[in-house]
Amino acid sequence: MSDISQQKRPFWTIARKDAAAGYLFIAPQLIGIITFVLIPLGLVFYYSLHEWNVLANTFTFVGDANYQMLLRDPNLPPVLLASAIFSAGLVVVNMSLALLLAVLLDQKLKGIVVFRTLFFSPVVVSLVAWTIVWSFLLQANGGINGILQVFGIEGPNWLRTPTTAMISVVVVQVFKNVGLNMILFLAALQGVPKELYEAARVDGASRFKQFRRITLPMISPTILLTSIITIVGSLQVFAQIAILTKGGPGVSTTVLVYYLYQQAFQFNFFGYGSTLSILLFVIVAVLTFIQWQMRKRIVFYEN
Amino acid sequence: MKTDLSPRLRVALYGLMCVLLIPFVFPTWWMVTSSVKPISDIFAFPPDLWPRRFDFSTYSRVFELQPFARQYWNSAYIAALVTAGTMVVSSMAGYAFARIRFPFSNTIFMVVLLGLLIPSEVTIVPLFQMFLRWGMINTHWPLILVPIFGAPSVFATFVMRQFFIALPGELEEAARVDGLGRFKIFWIIALPLAKPALGAVAIFTFLHSWNLYLEPIVFLSSTQMFTLPQALTQFTDAYGGAMWNVQLAAATMTAVPVLIVFIVAQKQFVEGLAHTGLKG
Amino acid sequence: MAPVSLQAVRKVYGDIKVLHGIDVDIADGEFIVLVGPSGCGKSTLLRMIAGLETISAGDIRIGGRVVNELEPKDRDIAMVFQNYALYPHMTVATNMGFSLEHRGASKAEIAERVKWAADILDLSHLLERYPRQLSGGQRQRVAMGRAIVRNPQVFLFDEPLSNLDAKLRVVMRGEIKGLHQRLGVTTVYVTHDQIEAMTMADRIVVMNAGRVEQIGAPLELYDRPANLFVAGFIGSPAMNVLGGTIADSRFNAAGVSLPLPTGIGITGAARYGFRPEHLLLTPDGLPAVVSLVEPMGSETQVTMRLGEHAVVGVFRERVAARPGETIHILPDLNAVHLFDTKSGARIN
Ligand SMILES: Nc1ncnc2c1ncn2[C@@H]1O[C@H](COP(=O)(O)OP(=O)(O)OP(=O)(O)O)[C@@H](O)[C@H]1O
Ligand SMILES: [Mg+2]
Repeated sequence: MSDISQQKRPFWTIARKDAAAGYLFIAPQLIGIITFVLIPLGLVFYYSLHEWNVLANTFTFVGDANYQMLLRDPNLPPVLLASAIFSAGLVVVNMSLALLLAVLLDQKLKGIVVFRTLFFSPVVVSLVAWTIVWSFLLQANGGINGILQVFGIEGPNWLRTPTTAMISVVVVQVFKNVGLNMILFLAALQGVPKELYEAARVDGASRFKQFRRITLPMISPTILLTSIITIVGSLQVFAQIAILTKGGPGVSTTVLVYYLYQQAFQFNFFGYGSTLSILLFVIVAVLTFIQWQMRKRIVFYEN
Repeated sequence: MKTDLSPRLRVALYGLMCVLLIPFVFPTWWMVTSSVKPISDIFAFPPDLWPRRFDFSTYSRVFELQPFARQYWNSAYIAALVTAGTMVVSSMAGYAFARIRFPFSNTIFMVVLLGLLIPSEVTIVPLFQMFLRWGMINTHWPLILVPIFGAPSVFATFVMRQFFIALPGELEEAARVDGLGRFKIFWIIALPLAKPALGAVAIFTFLHSWNLYLEPIVFLSSTQMFTLPQALTQFTDAYGGAMWNVQLAAATMTAVPVLIVFIVAQKQFVEGLAHTGLKG
Repeated sequence: MAPVSLQAVRKVYGDIKVLHGIDVDIADGEFIVLVGPSGCGKSTLLRMIAGLETISAGDIRIGGRVVNELEPKDRDIAMVFQNYALYPHMTVATNMGFSLEHRGASKAEIAERVKWAADILDLSHLLERYPRQLSGGQRQRVAMGRAIVRNPQVFLFDEPLSNLDAKLRVVMRGEIKGLHQRLGVTTVYVTHDQIEAMTMADRIVVMNAGRVEQIGAPLELYDRPANLFVAGFIGSPAMNVLGGTIADSRFNAAGVSLPLPTGIGITGAARYGFRPEHLLLTPDGLPAVVSLVEPMGSETQVTMRLGEHAVVGVFRERVAARPGETIHILPDLNAVHLFDTKSGARIN
């Protein structure tokens, strides 16, 4: 009897039925990723090997011509530089401010929740609305210069001077989103076991030393995670540039995404735009890879 | 670090935080107050923290210059659909990746995670061509389909997966013994317990959709179809100069409702984000 | 109520063999306890009976019917989990009625069964609470209530008491046993606590490394362990086992020669086992040097050196000896166990 039952094993075993359910559950996401990520990614590469004239409706294979153009494009070095300055500035300012705010919010103070709410509030303000107000504030005769003038300071035309334009876009972006990292850091700080601080105090470590020797190592996984998110996010900044500076003055705030948008959708250079997309993809991939590798060195502690 | 603070340090900390608050709070304040100033007062010197004259006509101008109600509806319904759709797609996928054993699940998960790595700007050109071919340019389909099924929902799937991984396996086994199949276990047991994660996903997704800017300006061309972020930049006079007060009135209408919802529900908001984002 | 039978049941995870062919026949209404050290495969076996793990080879029958490919819900079993697995978002009443609800029982029927179970388990006043509002013992009872509500053919328990404190564990042990006596449902109970096993089981299945070492009534295992593993596992403190050789009707171990029970026909290498409680204090016994005396009140536990072996004795009388002193002991020859050195199998 035992042998009979062994032979009659149905095709739809419990495990198979369950696996089928699994595929069913992930199907929408997987099909979506294939359709809207993987195929487009392949297409981007395919386009980048072609010259695409929208007006004449021609699409011709040009091999690596677009990549040659990339190397010779006189705008590319300043665009990459602008991207680098923007991303570096953003990450440094964002992370340090987020950490500072998180440490402040971690103190035992009355009404701290009100502060937390207010610091976080720009995150939920519509991005374009936020940028428009700042654009308004940063006009030559806008609110910021108005206030400076009250103190007798003649402010620059923020958005029309290369250096201040870059500073402006960074600052606008930092205040918009620093609340997110702040909350993540705050949660990480609150997750550090209290006994560690107590032990350190028994050992006579100063507050600053406690922060450096205990807090930072303990929250380093969060720092890594948020820095990856922030860097990848910084490479995607578009609305702020489009609204505040349109990439100017000159190309001083033309970051790669904005340049890509201009080439593809303003000048209809879809082939070259695709080549720039590939470049953007490579940069993001390399940065993520580097940060992932750094995990081993920087992160002292992981659960 | 949570030691009791001396009164003097306390005052210093409050002071520091108040100063730091200025760039976070002032822009919103300035947006709302300037939206009710007549255009002549908008660049007044010294700046008026409180309008010296009120001009509420800016708000009606918003609706005269553009089909703003329609645009508001566009943004709202798209964000609502995207949020609901993402919650369905990513909770299902996150659940399966976390709890169902099926061949290649890890490989497939890695492939899906690629979506996190690829900024949507990278694929915007081919997506435009694809939707052009499907006749969906100047419709809302790209703004609905891509976020729900494509790269933007991957983060949500990741968050849901992290949550479901931590769910005790015994609960599901008890449910199986009690007679539930996979789908019912998901629907009756796992999903109700995932409310905090779902809340965080909903918030993220809504804000993402509500803020979308590059995609609308690439995919949409008629003002009737515009979404709010796109519409906000269109308030210019005949010479292309910005009509600041009208623009700020539109911005206020875009920003303030979300802000109010946030302040009312800030606890769930902030804590939901903190607790799901962190355990990554 | 139904008999359960396992035939040549195997389990592999990829290359890892976890169960190597388990044969157990469980009679209708029997209370069977699976014991064994951690990782020996008890939970795996129980979960295979429940249908929560697939069966790599062999057959499992419940009530004579092969259930290998039946979903848990179609096996008519109920399971109580180690961490109770109460649905956190449902009240006690909903938790208990949940399985009936999903088998299409009417509201009235569910309410009646839940009330019946709640009365038995003294849960009536807790029905509207949520699991988080209950104590550990109460949760445990709700988990049992959930199992009995449906009146299943078989109860399965996986270390249900391991999260309770010692006192509550004894109480709940009694309750589970009482429940079994009252309902008479076939029960398979997993534990690694041998006291639980001894006190609750009709029969015990001792498992080790994916194999069954012995099946038998508690006292049978205690009195006649089939091999060294069972001998060492059942009983606390553990049986003393000395290695040595049998020659001239004596057992010669390092530094000591012990008497043998009568009728031992074998010679050569063997192992000699006796339980601590089967040591007798007698003036004409073997000298042993005391190294530790632990008075327990009702009895005294003494660790000592017998020849070159450390042995433990438990004596009803109060032993006044101090460490370093010599006492005279002798194993009760009616309770001496001899084992084969190589296979570990019992030879007397
Ligand atoms: N999914 C799995 N993949 C591989 N090996 C597994 C898996 N699940 C369990 N095992 C192995 O099977 C063996 C038996 O596990 P099981 O949980 O049945 O032990 P147990 O007897 O219940 O132990 P405990 O008393 O600790 O609960 C263990 O060695 C375990 O490592
Ligand atoms: Mg176990």
